Amino acid sequence: MALLEVKGARKSYGRLNALDTVNLVVESREFHGLIGPNGSGKSTLLKCIAGAEYPDEGTLTFLDEDISTTPPAVRARRGMSLKFQITSVFNLLSVYDNILLSIQAAHSLWHLAGSRSRRVLHSQVMDILSEFRIESRADDLAGELSHGEQQWLEIAMALAPRPRLLLLDEPTAGMSPEERRVTGDLLRPIKERCSMLIVEHDLDFIKDLSDVITVLDQGRVLDNGTPEQIEASERVKEVYVTRV
Amino acid sequence: MTLLNRVAGAHPGTSGRLSRLLAIELVVFVLFALMPLLLGLVWSEDDSFFWIVFTTKVLILCLFGLSFDLAWGYAGLMSFGQALFFGGAAYAVAVMSRDLDISSIFIVLPVAVAVGLVLAILLAAFLLTGSRTPSIIFVAFGTLTGSFAAERLARAWYYLGGQNGVSVTKALTIGDMPLYEGVGFYYLAFGFLVVVYIGCRFLVRSQFGLLLAGIREREERVAFLGYQVQLTRAIIFALSGAIAGLGGGLYAFHEGFVWPALMGPIYSTQAMLYVMLGGVSTLIGPVIGVTAIEFATIILIDYLRDFWIIILGVLLLLVIMFRRTGLLGMLVSERERIGSFRWRGANHKSDSRGD
Amino acid sequence: MSNLIKNNQTKGQLTRRSLLQSAMWMSGAVATGLGSWVFPAKWSHAAGPIKVGIATDLTGAISFGGIPCSRIAKLAIDQINADGGLLGRPLEMYLEDTASNEQIAVGVVRKLVQRERVDVVLGGITSSMRNAIKGIIVGRGRTLYIYPQLYEGRECTPYLFNTGPTPAQQCDKLIPWLIANGGKRFALPSANYVWPHVLNEYARKSIEENGGEVVMEEYYPLDQVEYGATVKRIMDEKIDVVFNTVIPPGLGPFIKQLYEAGFLKRGGRLSCVYYDENALNFNTPQEMEGLASCLDYFQNIEDPFSSELQAAYQKRHAHKDKVLFSAGSGSTGMYRGVKLWEAAVKEAGAVDRDSVAAAMDHAKIANGPGGPSEMLPGTYHCQMNMYIAVAKGGKYEIVSKADQVDPKECG
Repeated sequence: MALLEVKGARKSYGRLNALDTVNLVVESREFHGLIGPNGSGKSTLLKCIAGAEYPDEGTLTFLDEDISTTPPAVRARRGMSLKFQITSVFNLLSVYDNILLSIQAAHSLWHLAGSRSRRVLHSQVMDILSEFRIESRADDLAGELSHGEQQWLEIAMALAPRPRLLLLDEPTAGMSPEERRVTGDLLRPIKERCSMLIVEHDLDFIKDLSDVITVLDQGRVLDNGTPEQIEASERVKEVYVTRV
Repeated sequence: MTLLNRVAGAHPGTSGRLSRLLAIELVVFVLFALMPLLLGLVWSEDDSFFWIVFTTKVLILCLFGLSFDLAWGYAGLMSFGQALFFGGAAYAVAVMSRDLDISSIFIVLPVAVAVGLVLAILLAAFLLTGSRTPSIIFVAFGTLTGSFAAERLARAWYYLGGQNGVSVTKALTIGDMPLYEGVGFYYLAFGFLVVVYIGCRFLVRSQFGLLLAGIREREERVAFLGYQVQLTRAIIFALSGAIAGLGGGLYAFHEGFVWPALMGPIYSTQAMLYVMLGGVSTLIGPVIGVTAIEFATIILIDYLRDFWIIILGVLLLLVIMFRRTGLLGMLVSERERIGSFRWRGANHKSDSRGD
Repeated sequence: MSNLIKNNQTKGQLTRRSLLQSAMWMSGAVATGLGSWVFPAKWSHAAGPIKVGIATDLTGAISFGGIPCSRIAKLAIDQINADGGLLGRPLEMYLEDTASNEQIAVGVVRKLVQRERVDVVLGGITSSMRNAIKGIIVGRGRTLYIYPQLYEGRECTPYLFNTGPTPAQQCDKLIPWLIANGGKRFALPSANYVWPHVLNEYARKSIEENGGEVVMEEYYPLDQVEYGATVKRIMDEKIDVVFNTVIPPGLGPFIKQLYEAGFLKRGGRLSCVYYDENALNFNTPQEMEGLASCLDYFQNIEDPFSSELQAAYQKRHAHKDKVLFSAGSGSTGMYRGVKLWEAAVKEAGAVDRDSVAAAMDHAKIANGPGGPSEMLPGTYHCQMNMYIAVAKGGKYEIVSKADQVDPKECG
């Protein structure tokens, strides 16, 4: 059973076809990379999966349920987690509170009002913080973190609620090579519990991390396969050489 | 210490020491609690009676201010409709008192709260349905229209006394005992303020409060975390309506007069002024704002009648320009205002920063 | 809030500051603590002065009424003091500005009643102001309240005495006169608030009892200034008498548009019961020609006492501004109220509320603006002379006088 299945997705903005009949499948315990030149529709596809946009046509199935029209909050509760392209941590809240906010979403509002889960979630929050090596910054405001640390925080927030599918939109944007390496180290271990669909420009990073890669070009799927297959693919090379 | 600090959401690293915000809150409430006694020592009986009655009105208006802070400072809804809830509840109990001869506190106040709550729910349903976030302008105009319409309606409707309003000549009764203006009513209003304040404080420092803080900062992002953002706001808005309603019910019986402007946009704006001056999103800010403005008004009004309102406006402008966080923002850091939501239990490890 | 800023537009407006200055000039008023304006007594008595609280609109939209009310109250009090005071004690006047704003009014009236502990409060002009402050005065404050302005009646609250004309007093003589001197077909164009509604109810009854007919009765928003449709209807329906209760700002345009349509030219009669000398400024003399009003006082009635009173007022205030002592401002009722209260206190021999109220119930004065006046027992309202005056060439001509008309309230 595929975790996520996208069938025939189409999305246009006016006369621009951002997505033109895109099919994509993400399996459980799979790291799935999504690459393509600028304007190929990668971000649009991710947004449609997350619920930030709705495709004009096509279906989206997640965990065997049709989520084509469900709002993003519902998708999140079902186990989908998104890390935005632009860092959007909560600058005025502490690092700890950022994670807590993310992790407590599963509880009902009534539960939250009574702060019933604060104690229980504490160890989970600390664990995530230490896993992402920002434990020492727990009480600092998220706005005080370096750019790289903020990215890790955001990934941590995305992972904290233990999603089934993690959607990452350019997680290493603006990072130094060292930070990139650390990011890869942080992400690799989660495969057992969480699939990942990751949009990236850094081809090395993607090749290293992914099990499967899908290549988009001008809103269409150009090719799909293991990193080795994609590296060898003529079609892909052509596109990347002529248009990047 | 732990419970108090927990409720207050003490600043991290200050375990054992009261945070500034908490200290300010305690000072304010202790002052209010002791005021009638202190007055009696300093002033003549007539003078102190007058000030007790005046401060009771201030306490009631604090509820009004609190309700606006909840709506705007915590739910992010710039509501010009708080007067609609406040005045609407005041009208309901005034008419009830006039026509049905009801003045028992056990009926009056629940009705007032219910009216505020229902009106707020109706308005929330209108403003917040649909998955798109309503813009601030939409909310402002929507609530402004509601408030304006209510005032016009009350002015035109003879049953509600039209322009003349409704006088409330009966006193609020607790069982057989009538409660006139004075020390009794003072402590009643004070008691309600304390209870409401503690309730709100607890709520905004709870995990629910963390959610509110997140919504205030990045509403769209919060939805992606899995929260029902509009429902959350609607809940806070409804709560703000209920609190405004409570204030309205007390106001009707204490001031003895309800008239159309009480539901209207000018009065709604007054709530906004109170809160902006005191400090939005702080709960104690509105209390300070109401107190400051009301006391300044009564003292200055005879000397600066034509000008005090201009002075007030200029003052507000200065505060907004230089310290958007109001008077309280001058004393309390942003960080403390928002607070921390971390669990501080028995096995809380002390953090590496030692201050 | 807007009222406070609007005050500069009202004609003849005096700011609080200059009232204060002139008051201080004349009689050395003192600011006490929170700034209640007190006019202290010039002599003292063992039992202390009797405190008279005046709460009226010195600023804001209703200041045209509040200012003469406060002045005439002062005049009356000065006269009483000059005659040896009341029960041998001097009167002290405590003046508060209700600022045409009910919210502020509640606060300042509380000052009078709770802090200064005045023995009586006179004031309020609009009915909404009366409603706002009455609870504080007669309920919680346990003080006597006298309301001086013409209004819609139906105020039957104990300890609240009304000394201004009621609908019955304004209509009982006027309506028959209008039918005889105008015609049977009536139009009632009105502002949409309480006073016109209730007045019209009474007027309609009176019109029909006297053989007339109410052809149209309409209510307009207070800020309406366009009356084309109304005027057309009045002309089409061949209305004889326009019994108007539209108030400024709509009044001026309405009267003008009616005139331009030829209403007066074809013999129509205008009538408006709040028209006093102030109102003569709202339109040109031709536009108002023949307008009939019915009030308790006009400046040119033949009554020696009234003339003396007007002269005394003019002597003090005419050089300052054009704010008039007239019946539409509540100031005639204010004088009447002070004097009736004085009579009641004299009869009771005491100042406590219950004794005075018992005496006030049937108090009477032989002299007042317009003539004598007497409280009808059990009704909280008083009889007074009513005059019908017609506007001719921009001035009033008195055409009828009725003695001691029954207020017909709270029966």
